Amino acid sequence: MRMKASSNSFRNNHSSSFRDPSGYVFVDNNVLKRAVLPKYFRQYNALKASGFYKKVIKHSLLIPHNESKTTKDSIELIPEEIPFITYPYEWSFSQLKDAALHTLKLQNYAVSNGFILKDATAFNIAFHRGNPIFIDTLSFDFYSSDSPWKAFKMFVQHFLSPLVLAHYHGPTILKLLQTHIDGIPLSLTTSLLPRKSKLNPTILTNIHLLAKAERKYKNQTDKKTKEIKVKKERHLNHLDALYSFIQGLNVNQKTEWGNYYENIHYDDTALDFKKNQISEWISYLDLKTVVDIGGNDGTMVRSFSHDLDFAIVGDIDENAVDLNYQKIKEQKDANIIPVLLDILQPTPALGFDNKERFSIINRLNKFKPDLTLALALIHHISLGGNVPFLKIAEFFARFSNYLIIEFPNRNDDMVQLLLNQKRDFKNHFDFYSDENFERDFGVFFEIEKRVAIPKSNRILYQMKTI
Amino acid sequence: MIVLYFDPGLGAMLVQALIAAAASVIVFSKNVKAKIQNFFSNKKRGKPHQDSININEDESKF
Repeated sequence: MRMKASSNSFRNNHSSSFRDPSGYVFVDNNVLKRAVLPKYFRQYNALKASGFYKKVIKHSLLIPHNESKTTKDSIELIPEEIPFITYPYEWSFSQLKDAALHTLKLQNYAVSNGFILKDATAFNIAFHRGNPIFIDTLSFDFYSSDSPWKAFKMFVQHFLSPLVLAHYHGPTILKLLQTHIDGIPLSLTTSLLPRKSKLNPTILTNIHLLAKAERKYKNQTDKKTKEIKVKKERHLNHLDALYSFIQGLNVNQKTEWGNYYENIHYDDTALDFKKNQISEWISYLDLKTVVDIGGNDGTMVRSFSHDLDFAIVGDIDENAVDLNYQKIKEQKDANIIPVLLDILQPTPALGFDNKERFSIINRLNKFKPDLTLALALIHHISLGGNVPFLKIAEFFARFSNYLIIEFPNRNDDMVQLLLNQKRDFKNHFDFYSDENFERDFGVFFEIEKRVAIPKSNRILYQMKTI
Repeated sequence: MIVLYFDPGLGAMLVQALIAAAASVIVFSKNVKAKIQNFFSNKKRGKPHQDSININEDESKF
């Protein structure tokens, strides 16, 4: 255990908070709080007295907090609540890019004000009210004159490397962050990058050269890093150069589902009917929180989001998630959060004891939305993933009291395609019918409404858990 | 300064000093380029303001 505190302090400790000895996060009567330990009092008091906290909060760089209790052993803070946390491996390219820029901006501001970011993990960023925000209030330390940024390697592994990899290989590679929660190792990044990447001076120096130096000096633990100096002006220029480079980075990938609503031959009447019907049910039942599983770019949720408090929009496609994020930024949709979500392979629990980062199922269960939306999805799970109706019903019944689900029958184009792809095993899927669907979902739900969507081969259901 | 809970990497520190020096040249040339572009470009048709790493102290998002 790295923390010098009595084992008592760990009793209510949040299971993802143990790495940094400056303090820890804990849950007290369902309220998330942060304890500052005496070891960090000097920094904390300076950050407060200098007005630095006030300024970074004012500029929306750091999550606001209130001091709730002060004793000689700890200072207790209550940070502003973030409704739903998504992890870096559930972000789209633009989200990771904005999180990287946000981190650099904060480091630049800190150094200019006599402080420094002592770590640069992507888990210190959350998306809140449509924008990235830094959530680790205790990540600052004093900037001592001309000292280098000790979290630089961490920044490269958590942000620069995955972004550059996605630039060359497409956004799917960002999932590497799931298997490397401490950032992508430099050696792995360099082995995956094409040779031509060395022609770019920023990638050559900040990744390739860095990896080489790390390999060379890996075992020289006797040398003191204190002797290394980086002039403040150069330090700030380095941050500026990284900022400009990342700002200009893009990801080359054609969209598969990203412009779903433009590509699909979905009749406008059917789509409008669906929007109006769902909106009517939501307002009648007075539902305020929603998780849309397979919500594409958020088009559906956006049509009634003004009536909601909060909506989580998941999708399997990186481009759809990215498009949703872009729309959230453009339209200032403060109550929508995008999340990359493959329902056949949901984000698992990760880290030490599998408790450091929660699974998406765990987070959704805790959030407990009023409604689960599953539109144009069941055939992908049932026919694409071979999951029986009963299992799907049991799965959906765990999230929320209400479920609005769309069932495309066997005449639907997509269902036809999925069935034909089964070739010789097509007969194995004879069970796929609305009768069987209703029978199996009826085990876990009471089917309250059943409406055929006009000009389509689809049925819309409103269900309530039994 | 408090003790770090991770290894910053000696190689990373050494390279950082080099990159930071090189970055100063890049940033300097970028600024010169921007000034030249500004000089020749029609302000009305100029590029939309790009987000910068620097915080404008007078500007608050609230």
